[in-house]
Amino acid sequence: MADATLQGKLIEFKGGSLAVMTAHLRDTEAMRLADALHMMLGGMPDFFAGEAAVLDFSQLATFPDRVDWTAIVSLLRRYQVQPIAVRNLPEHLHEGARRANLAILGNEGMSAERPVAAPPPARVEAAAAAPAPEPVPALSAPTLIVERPVRSGQQVYSKGGDLILLAGMSPGSEVIADGCIHCYGPLRGRALAGARGDLTARIFSTNFGPELVSIAGVYRTFERGLPPAIAGHWAQVRLVSSDSQNTLEITPLGSD
Amino acid sequence: MARVIVVTSGKGGVGKTTTSASFSTGLALRGFKTAVIDFDVGLRNLDLIMGCERRVVYDLVNVINGEANLNQALIKDKHCENLFVLPASQTRDKDALSEEGVEKVLKELEHMGFDYIVCDSPAGIERGAVMALTFADEAIVVSNPEVSSVRDSDRILGILQSKSRRAVEGREAVKEHLLITRYAPKRVEEGEMLSYKDVHELLRVPLLGVIPESDDVLQASNQGSPAIHLKDSDVATAYQDVVARFLDEDRPLRFVNYEKPGLLKRIFGGK
Repeated sequence: MADATLQGKLIEFKGGSLAVMTAHLRDTEAMRLADALHMMLGGMPDFFAGEAAVLDFSQLATFPDRVDWTAIVSLLRRYQVQPIAVRNLPEHLHEGARRANLAILGNEGMSAERPVAAPPPARVEAAAAAPAPEPVPALSAPTLIVERPVRSGQQVYSKGGDLILLAGMSPGSEVIADGCIHCYGPLRGRALAGARGDLTARIFSTNFGPELVSIAGVYRTFERGLPPAIAGHWAQVRLVSSDSQNTLEITPLGSD
Repeated sequence: MARVIVVTSGKGGVGKTTTSASFSTGLALRGFKTAVIDFDVGLRNLDLIMGCERRVVYDLVNVINGEANLNQALIKDKHCENLFVLPASQTRDKDALSEEGVEKVLKELEHMGFDYIVCDSPAGIERGAVMALTFADEAIVVSNPEVSSVRDSDRILGILQSKSRRAVEGREAVKEHLLITRYAPKRVEEGEMLSYKDVHELLRVPLLGVIPESDDVLQASNQGSPAIHLKDSDVATAYQDVVARFLDEDRPLRFVNYEKPGLLKRIFGGK
């Protein structure tokens, strides 16, 4: 262990994202939360079996001046929930949460309603458990460009921006973007654009043949095959709204 | 510098071991010092195809565990001067393969002056298959002309891109080759089988060759002699073409078009 390089490897920091449970708290009063938890899980105090959780306060109507974090944390621990961080919390409550050893997460990230699949391991992101500093606003939305084919079983997520696929995607793969998806080559797996609810996101492909397309959560599968006018051709997918209803429209694009 | 080539597919029974045996034999016949390693720990087969099952004393796992050295475990092929087989262990499972252990074996083979190391991957996408492809410089992805095999090949190509050492370290990507085996032009003609063009279009990997479906393969396995040694066999010729193309020689594709049997052949029969 005298070797300095070996010493350095005893700890290694790596980016990555992990799926973690979110607990939406609609109250900050420990007593009332305790009652609610008892009603919900009275018979099963070890229901969560030590699972980690992020406490999300986006659904809290009004914020109190101070919160008894120790009480909340020990209450959750009694039910074997392991709170690790808080999210969507106003500034004035940050200090207290920090003192209770909870990390403050930025308010970005996955939307509460629609869990977004984890990005591929190749991309580096801040670990969820790390105390995130104040989010730095990006100057422009980042675009993720994938030069190799996205293969069956692979998943690519372009967080906050567009996704460009230069070598197409295979059946059984999944690509997700918060913005648009541009696919130069065959689009054959599942393509989900506007994953955080952007209704104006679109999907473009030079060789259209997906298993599923979705824009802002409105999805469509193709069990009976694609219309010949678009199958294997240039096409785009977008949302059109009529009578306050959003429907997917798939149209041929340019000339083939 | 030894080149490590993994023969992989995802799906089982598509012809990985047959290909590993013939391909490594073909390289050795060209004068390259070649080792072929069976990574299918627990379901050892390569030794049977190579006809050396009675000479297995030590295996890959023994070498990894330091119970034998490589010289003791490598079995010299009965046909080729330059070819050596490193069998898998039949009594262990894939957990016996460690990344460090495999790396050590490959490094040592390189020190012994091997030009090519062919890794015969087990089916699946679990530990054994990942171990076989981790250190690959090139990959031969074996696929049959049917959709489930193609899908599995696609999956393993994705794993190559994400789990190989080259991918993890951000070096130049593993060079991919597509090999289509068990190809029956007649059934393609009749629309019962995907054409090699379809498979190539679905996987978008450079085509290394097409091996025709043939009873010769079974015969070769039973005899314990790699199919590339067969006389007057399309399979042997196709594997020789594969080796030639791998070595950057130009060979047109053969055995991909269906020729209707002539009148005499239909009357008098024939193979």
